[in-house]
Amino acid sequence: MWLKVILSVGMLMSAANMALANEAHTPQGLEYCTVCHGSQLKGNQNIGAPRLTSLPAWYLSRQLNNFQQGVRGSHPKDTTGGEMMSMVSTFSDEQIAEIVSWIVSTESTKPAVSLSADAHKGEQLYKTCAACHGVNAQGNEAMGAPNISGLNDWYILTQLNHFRDGIRGGDAEDIYGQQMKAASAIVTTKEEAESLAVYITQLK
Amino acid sequence: MKNISRRQFLTYVGAVGGTSALLKTSIAMGLMKEDPFKGPVKVTPAPIKNKPSVLILGSGIAGLATAFELEQAGYDCTILEASFRAGGRNLTVRNGDKIDEMGHTQICNFDKQDNLFFNCGPARIPGHHKRTLHYCKALNVPLQIKANSSKMAYFQDDKFLGGKPKRIIEYHTDARGLMSELLWKSADSNTFNQMLNAEDVEKLMDFSKAFGDLTENGKYIGSERAGSITDRMLDYPQPHAPMELKALLDSRFWYGGLLGAELYDWCEPLMEPIGGMDAVVKGFLRHLKKPPVLNAQVKKIFNKANGVEVTYEQGGEFHTVTADYCFNNIPAYFMAGIENNFSSTYQAGLNSVKRGHLFKIAYQMKSRFWEDDGIYGGISYSADAISQIWYPSHDINAQKGILLGAYTWDPKHSAMFESLTPLERLKVGAMSGEKIHPGYSKYIENGISIPWARMNHQMGCGMRMNKDDFKTYFHLLQKPEGRHFMIGDQISHHSGWQEGALASSEQALGQFNHLVATNRT
Repeated sequence: MWLKVILSVGMLMSAANMALANEAHTPQGLEYCTVCHGSQLKGNQNIGAPRLTSLPAWYLSRQLNNFQQGVRGSHPKDTTGGEMMSMVSTFSDEQIAEIVSWIVSTESTKPAVSLSADAHKGEQLYKTCAACHGVNAQGNEAMGAPNISGLNDWYILTQLNHFRDGIRGGDAEDIYGQQMKAASAIVTTKEEAESLAVYITQLK
Repeated sequence: MKNISRRQFLTYVGAVGGTSALLKTSIAMGLMKEDPFKGPVKVTPAPIKNKPSVLILGSGIAGLATAFELEQAGYDCTILEASFRAGGRNLTVRNGDKIDEMGHTQICNFDKQDNLFFNCGPARIPGHHKRTLHYCKALNVPLQIKANSSKMAYFQDDKFLGGKPKRIIEYHTDARGLMSELLWKSADSNTFNQMLNAEDVEKLMDFSKAFGDLTENGKYIGSERAGSITDRMLDYPQPHAPMELKALLDSRFWYGGLLGAELYDWCEPLMEPIGGMDAVVKGFLRHLKKPPVLNAQVKKIFNKANGVEVTYEQGGEFHTVTADYCFNNIPAYFMAGIENNFSSTYQAGLNSVKRGHLFKIAYQMKSRFWEDDGIYGGISYSADAISQIWYPSHDINAQKGILLGAYTWDPKHSAMFESLTPLERLKVGAMSGEKIHPGYSKYIENGISIPWARMNHQMGCGMRMNKDDFKTYFHLLQKPEGRHFMIGDQISHHSGWQEGALASSEQALGQFNHLVATNRT
């Protein structure tokens, strides 16, 4: 049996990936991104690279600019943020704009819950968060709060702990990060952080 | 073997004859098995009509060897490679070559000369790495001896002898002398009477005297074995004053560099391909019927009833290909980011393989100043983050040379280097080198660094599984799931070595033969 090359995607696709038939192509020169963030930027916990699909364009630009300026990722304890910072430092403004429009065009399935924690406890805590991020964590641009319902729970947990420990949101220029750092004070234990992350990820 | 246990006996044999004596004796006593490698797996030949197709993901050493063996047996192999180049971590850079680091693309600025190259990944082959040596022979890759240790090289630690570098031969000789003195004293004070008779104790004292070069009274006062402070050719030799026992114990050398050359994988003599380790990659490429498809990043892997379907992206286009079998050499920790239909246990096994953080620096030195200092190859050990300095043993007396200025395994040290810019790394390395070789920096013409955990398409070197995960998942990952086989040094006990990669390929091809036999019946 000779190797069959099917150039038109979708012809022999399995049912599992039929649903994602309109997958975004990786812009040339940005193949780096998918090495860590995975196919369709679905995220990869092994590298600490979150799912990016579902994050809004305005938030993505802000974070990419923060990484580029060293506003985010320069804390010595932020290992993965530091890795991202050195990656983004080489991008031009045009490339950042291209990355953002590509990310919002990606299609990947919403991640499942990976942590074992009490979502009900998280629900109680989330009431405070909902003021900015919305009842379904859908986000609110006017408040500068992104949609976080499509993020991996392990990533929400890491970032929540980074905000709590001042690893993220400590930079004077990171206005929204500082707000989030202050807001993260509602979480007082590791367990609470986990339950909050689980609650947010299981939201529809 | 009266009054002595088998293990004690081996310890003594080891002490007298070194590790190799211990090994031979152990084999004779049946404690260890010799490496059973008797040549590559004989792959079940493909049927002449309808040749089965095989997809190989990744053109690292395991992928190349697997493709080579399968092609020899008549299979139609296609290698998909995400990077712009083949070889994986077998990477040798020369003038103009690119180090594809995330965020810091580096171009090698060494002069354009055959002897100026840097083996970024594997750099040495011990005589018992039979698989690697087999392929070097089969693929006509000429080898030469690589000096992996030089007793003329140095050990340097800021907290030892006021930071003054010490020649390894002086350290070794003093360490042996001081330890022998202790042994002589304990033998003299009846410590071993339970274990040895009077005659044996006498022999032990003689042994310690000979081993450590002690005086008649069992004192170590320095030894000519470490050279002389006078001109040995024209004057009466006079040994260096020995270091203090306390200084020896306080130094950080004895649990690191002291035993460097004693490790089985570093046992002399080692070898290297002439002109760079990538000669192994080139050897495979010369013998493969189809070159790897480059810049082809795998996005999906789906096991099907009678084959494997893989989607890759190349130049912004998706390509979906199917094959009868698939051998996957992609770092296992990337698999969670690649769509697949693996069982959750298999995926959990893949997730248990963690990134390693090896780091190296290489400098082009305008003259081979180390040769003027009596060093022709080998390694100096530093207690600084650079850990090691390697001197080339090839092209002796050439004008310039490439010096390995750092080789770190400690994740903390590697993380420090990873977070720096390439130029900052070179400066940090130069400062540590300066402590061993005053004037070091002024010889540096240019340099390059490789943080493997920041390399595009690799993001790590020296993968590891923790002990529990190893127990749970290693054997699982050695077996195919459907028609998908994992390969690479990651599926071996010997990560970071080409021999581990080749052993994984051999193991997987053995499994492949089983699967083919099952499918035919």
